[in-house]
Amino acid sequence: MTDAAVRASMTKSRRRMLRPSIVISVAAVLAAALVGLVLIFALGVSVSEAIAAFIDGTLGTPYAIAASVNRSIAFALVGIGFVIANRANLVNVGGEGQIAVGGIAATAVALYGHVDGLPAALSFVIPLLAAVLAGMLWGSIAGILKIKAGTNEVISTLLLSFIAVWLLYWCVQSPQLLRKPMTSSATLPESLEIPEAAKLPLLTGDYSFPVHIGLPVTIVIAIVAGIVLVKTVFGLQLRAVGFNPVAAGRAGISYARMVMVSLATAGALGGLAGGFMLLGEQYVLKDGFSSGYGFDGLVAGLLARGSVVGVIAAALLFGFLRSGGINMEMVAGVPTALVMVIQGLIVVTLAGAAFFMGRRA
Amino acid sequence: MAAVKAPAQTSTEPLLALQGVTKRFGSLLALSDASLDIMPGEVHCILGENGAGKSTLCNLIFGVHVPDQGAMRFEGRSYHPASPADALTSGIAMVHQHFSLVHDMTVVDNVILGQQRGFVNTRAWAQRLERLANDYGFALDPNAKIDDLSVGERQRVEIVKCLIREPRLFLLDEPTAVLLPDEIGALLDICRRVAENGCAVVLVTHKLAEIKKAADRVTVLRGGRVVARSDHPAEEIDALVRAMIQGDLKSLDKSAASMLGVANGGADRAREAVPAETPPQEAVQIDGLTVVDGQGVTRLDNFTLSIGPGEIVGVAGVEGNGQSELAAVISGMAKPSGGHVYLGNVETTDLNPKELTAVGIGVVPEDRHSVGCVLEMSVAENMFLNRLGDFTSFGFLRRRELTQAARALMTRFDVRAASPEVAFSALSGGNQQKAVLAREITLPKLSFLLAAQPTRGLDVGAVAAVYGHIRAACASGAAVLLISSELDELIAVADRIVVLYRGRIMGNCTAEPSERERIGAMMAGHAQ
Repeated sequence: MTDAAVRASMTKSRRRMLRPSIVISVAAVLAAALVGLVLIFALGVSVSEAIAAFIDGTLGTPYAIAASVNRSIAFALVGIGFVIANRANLVNVGGEGQIAVGGIAATAVALYGHVDGLPAALSFVIPLLAAVLAGMLWGSIAGILKIKAGTNEVISTLLLSFIAVWLLYWCVQSPQLLRKPMTSSATLPESLEIPEAAKLPLLTGDYSFPVHIGLPVTIVIAIVAGIVLVKTVFGLQLRAVGFNPVAAGRAGISYARMVMVSLATAGALGGLAGGFMLLGEQYVLKDGFSSGYGFDGLVAGLLARGSVVGVIAAALLFGFLRSGGINMEMVAGVPTALVMVIQGLIVVTLAGAAFFMGRRA
Repeated sequence: MAAVKAPAQTSTEPLLALQGVTKRFGSLLALSDASLDIMPGEVHCILGENGAGKSTLCNLIFGVHVPDQGAMRFEGRSYHPASPADALTSGIAMVHQHFSLVHDMTVVDNVILGQQRGFVNTRAWAQRLERLANDYGFALDPNAKIDDLSVGERQRVEIVKCLIREPRLFLLDEPTAVLLPDEIGALLDICRRVAENGCAVVLVTHKLAEIKKAADRVTVLRGGRVVARSDHPAEEIDALVRAMIQGDLKSLDKSAASMLGVANGGADRAREAVPAETPPQEAVQIDGLTVVDGQGVTRLDNFTLSIGPGEIVGVAGVEGNGQSELAAVISGMAKPSGGHVYLGNVETTDLNPKELTAVGIGVVPEDRHSVGCVLEMSVAENMFLNRLGDFTSFGFLRRRELTQAARALMTRFDVRAASPEVAFSALSGGNQQKAVLAREITLPKLSFLLAAQPTRGLDVGAVAAVYGHIRAACASGAAVLLISSELDELIAVADRIVVLYRGRIMGNCTAEPSERERIGAMMAGHAQ
């Protein structure tokens, strides 16, 4: 018996088994939703009222839809970054911090970069670029640590997130940094509102449906990422490094370059997500603005199993789940924690299903 | 079943009898309807190529696997072990290909491990050990640390671990693969003595020389089936080889045959016709290469060698004597602590793998799976992994062209796969190696080929093909450095041989069968 043959037959059957993963994903989502309903019932809340609130919060109004879409954009960008890094077998858990530094950079440049008087689109493009660069820097630090010192990127990106989150706190607390001028003791720890010109244009131009231009940009990025990963030599080299860095190195593919490029790209996409959130929806930098976004984006990337289309689907799902959950809390008194529980259940169910499929093969 | 000879009438009952034993792994039929008798007091060789089912057979007898069909009888009783522990209590012991010894402990501690609980009288055990070694005619210091022992001595520890249980059936799975030539002889002597004491010995091998020397009876496996048996193996070697490889000995590459030990010397070293147009011929000069590892141990010591264009130089030595470090430095995977490598006038010591590929240095790495290929990627991708840039426009991969080029290369090098698109892991070891070789040999302007253990784990057909390709590369003017732990392979293929021992070159000699013993002695560290 050659173990190569055994392994080959195993991989083949495993692939075949995982083919109907869409069915499994949908089933997992439905199963998790069902458990959620049971929990709502157990809480003593009217199930029909909760469902009505959920639907109202997601699809009920154009505003609700737009809010969900905007949320999904951030998840999708972080998720795509995760998928790119994951091709090189790197796990970027630093989305949270990359969003935070992106938001800080965008705010700083929008407020104090004299972008107000610039012609046309430059006044929001330049802050966005600042956000991208800041995120890229944050991702690159993890890349350098990985190459020079062999630091595990899970640890470094996670710890860099803490640094970024506290940096954000410092920025909004300190009047020397981004806190708005203290006029009274009641001045909130937040930045000034960014100038009108720096705000991202809305697709419809109508504040009742506030989807901003981040949506088409994200769609383009998703398409480009998909093409780069599948059709280009770079995508192939990234995969080679991910599967077997030693063999890839012997074949002349630079491990250091692949690590740097993929982590910097993941960071840049996180930074862009932060920029979009600040310039497109929030307009004011506040402590904790990135809270949860990075990790939800990470989970979207994780669930997608390397597929960019999968990231989009998961990002939309989570975006709408979150919006619906917030409305459920406000209207029906169901704690938002429950939505987190459902989200967690989806992840566990999918991962468990994949595990058992793998074992059966 | 093409029985070489009808089994002779036997007077005694078989010690172990297998009847129609079948074992599947998924869709792979590893052993099919195999029947086999082992007599007490005989040395029974199981002969077969890689993948013929030899190891599966041993693992079934030793209780590692459970057969899907068929029955086993041991000492006249039905025998169905569920685990190696069952086999051991029944009186069956096995020496595996890979040792399981605790390196920081002494010989006697390793033997005691797993045999006794509670308080231990180490001295009594040590005496027992010495007595046992004495009985079988070899020396073993019970208080030596495993770390200080040679591979052959370590194997003796494994053997003693088995013999101290006084087994009635003793299995050895490819025991000679790791040994020096004179150690092989000693091992076979031990096997003989064990058999003379009434224990049956089952010896798994693919080397015919060992069969000639030690076997009472032989069973040949091919593709999981018993295809031949012989009661007088020494006189029927040719027929056994035919059964093993399903072909004629004459059609076999002579070097491959000599590696199996069927043809004595006379390896055909005639080169294929040199192509009309030869690339610029550059000599390789390796100058004082030294590698000191992280612990400060000198792994490679002042290695100096020059290889002319069109020359094959073999590096002999027991594994772990600096070969891996030498290969790593030449292939750009590690930096030397001192010394230089030149190709013609170009110093290549500090070039990275990409630059080495560009100057025409091809490398067939020792560890195919971890350095030579990316198992999860396709055959086509692997065959051009170092030249993907040739199939690029504006960053995009011209996949159709890549597939076509791969298909052409697969035909030329006889790489058998369903298509260039299948995962590399789906290929057999031989086909994987041919694919790696194809990639490295077809480098534009190949002027230096480093091949480390290029035939490890391959079957005879693939071995012959690999030799053919290495010779062809050499015929077109490339300098070839062939690192191998198989002395027969080096004698058959190389022009001259240097012997490595503890990182130093012990000596330099021509690759003639008459030099075998001298080389063997140098491999063991005796200066000549």
